Amino acid sequence: MSLTPDRLGAAHRSGALVWARRNLFRSPVDGVLTIVFGAISLWLIYKTFSFVFITGRWDIIRVNLRLLMIGRFPDVHVLRLAVTVVGLAAWGGFLAGFIRARQIRSGRVSDDDESVVARVGDTVARLWLPAMVVLLLLVLSSTSGPWITVGIAIVAAILGRALGPLAGRPKLGPMGSALLIGGIGAVPVGLYFYVVTAVGFDDWGGFLLNLFLAVCAIVLCFPLGVLLALGRRSTLPLVRVVSTGYIELVRGAPLFVLLLLANSALGFFVPNSLAPSTSTRAIIVFTLFTAAYMAEIIRGGLQSVPRGQIEAAKAVGLSPARQMGYIVLPQALRNVIPAQIGQLISLFKDTTLAGIAMGLFELLQVTTAIPAQEGFRGQGLIGETITFAALLFWTVAYTMSRESQRLEKRLGVGVR
Amino acid sequence: MTDQHDDTHDDTAVFADATAMRGTGTAMIELEGVDKFFGDFRALGDINLKVASQEVVVVIGPSGSGKSTMIRCINRLEEHDAGRIVVDGTELSNDIRNIQEIRRETGMVFQSFNLFPHLSVLDNITLAPRKVRKLPKRVAEELGMAMLEMVKIPEQAGKYPGQLSGGQQQRVAIARSLAMKPKVMLFDEPTSALDPEMINEVLDTMKELAASGMTMIVVTHEMGFAREVADRVVFMADGQIVEVGTPEHFFENPSEDRTKLFLSQIL
Repeated sequence: MSLTPDRLGAAHRSGALVWARRNLFRSPVDGVLTIVFGAISLWLIYKTFSFVFITGRWDIIRVNLRLLMIGRFPDVHVLRLAVTVVGLAAWGGFLAGFIRARQIRSGRVSDDDESVVARVGDTVARLWLPAMVVLLLLVLSSTSGPWITVGIAIVAAILGRALGPLAGRPKLGPMGSALLIGGIGAVPVGLYFYVVTAVGFDDWGGFLLNLFLAVCAIVLCFPLGVLLALGRRSTLPLVRVVSTGYIELVRGAPLFVLLLLANSALGFFVPNSLAPSTSTRAIIVFTLFTAAYMAEIIRGGLQSVPRGQIEAAKAVGLSPARQMGYIVLPQALRNVIPAQIGQLISLFKDTTLAGIAMGLFELLQVTTAIPAQEGFRGQGLIGETITFAALLFWTVAYTMSRESQRLEKRLGVGVR
Repeated sequence: MTDQHDDTHDDTAVFADATAMRGTGTAMIELEGVDKFFGDFRALGDINLKVASQEVVVVIGPSGSGKSTMIRCINRLEEHDAGRIVVDGTELSNDIRNIQEIRRETGMVFQSFNLFPHLSVLDNITLAPRKVRKLPKRVAEELGMAMLEMVKIPEQAGKYPGQLSGGQQQRVAIARSLAMKPKVMLFDEPTSALDPEMINEVLDTMKELAASGMTMIVVTHEMGFAREVADRVVFMADGQIVEVGTPEHFFENPSEDRTKLFLSQIL
């Protein structure tokens, strides 16, 4: 509800008055509420505005931008990160083009469903928010490197998008298809090794580390969650007991405690020389923890598929594995997309706990450390740094949420 | 139990009728002494029924009489507790391979359609031929389109089940079963969930199927269909087969009191 009716302009003054009367001042109580909350809102807006544009000391962000984004990543190897960003952009564009070409080939999407203009518009509508934040980061940066990287990345993404259909259109044999899909899957893994051979995991930091922990855990926890959900419904008693026990055990422990355990108690079981690095341990804990929650969400999805679906799948002669893979699981997963994405967003934000529990130098640790720097000490600038961290987290989380709604809509085509 | 069947001189009335039918005389489905319990409740008691190849058998009876349970035992959606069920010479056992073999040869149409909502109409039909019969995609899709033409809705191939009317959905479900080229079709109250104006389009499809020589067992409350299409009518009550006969015998001159009572209630 808008609290400022005069935004409608003088030309519509009478209309605005009628509107305000009807919506804001219908009864004395309405009028009091409107005035009280209007005043509070205006005060909040004024305070926010003055913090962002007047009193905020944003030079602390400008000076420490690099530390916030990538932590203490050694200077000499930053180029590898730039190459990785460009590589991932090209890869993403290629994948988008490839998938669309495959969909057109299989007849699921018609080539002339939408015009090119409409599709570009759609892409802009999807990406404008993260793009604005990236632009803000570029403006804050003091060197030309990020600008060049992002510029090349955009070109690479467009090139990849143009090349993707060339690989997706032709019909390949099963061998060719497997090679191509394997190749596509190998690109991010290859880029990871390209970076990690130069700079070990434990030297990564900043928002890069949060993103990386989250992406790894998300990719790994999903299949594990599906397996646990199926295991809990298995007819084999051993599988069922193990799955149920695992889920209940992990869900009963706070994530923070599990992270602390992985950090300190692991030494009781594994000799130090064999113990994985701290960041690897964090990924393992996040994966194992979230998988237990995903399993319960997916189990709910499995239960939401009507029994008639399984009976129909049986009646046409599908084997038990195919009943699950082609009929039950696709419907189950689609039915619980909102809950799944909620869990993954939660996982993404919880990566900050790895900083507190394990001493990893992720974004939150950076934001709480830099106000104590020489030159900023004692000036109470933590508000600025925390606000900046909040903006980054919110941007990614909100983008995930929007993409999930889009996915839900697309998968729900023609379903009652 | 084993040496009771397969003999040429069937002595029960149930079996004797089969020889008089349009069917070829060779048994497609045999149920012998089939019992089924849900807990302590006896859902089926000593069911004996032989259905000849190309025969159309309509099963009627009050709700809760075990009609659906009986045909669901034939493709093992329910497990029977005693007796024998033989489909096209293969006896139903607990072996999953054997069960799937029988399900491949047995199509089933459900009261609530049970189409796969996440697949297009054509994919609903081609899934099993591709994955179970291992047909190449193109062959399966040609087959699927032929089936859709048979049920007279080829133009709906690209749509999703949720976009179709109930009658259209049920015809897709019939096409989905037929695409597996089954030897038997089981219908479990196929028109009970339909709006009245859609019942006939489904019944017409079933009539054409019967005329083409398909072996069919149909559980229904459509007495007109039973009278017109059935070779034999089976009347069930309280989990038992009470009476079996031709439609003429059944509707004009039933012999059992239980049947007369039921008919007086519905006609």
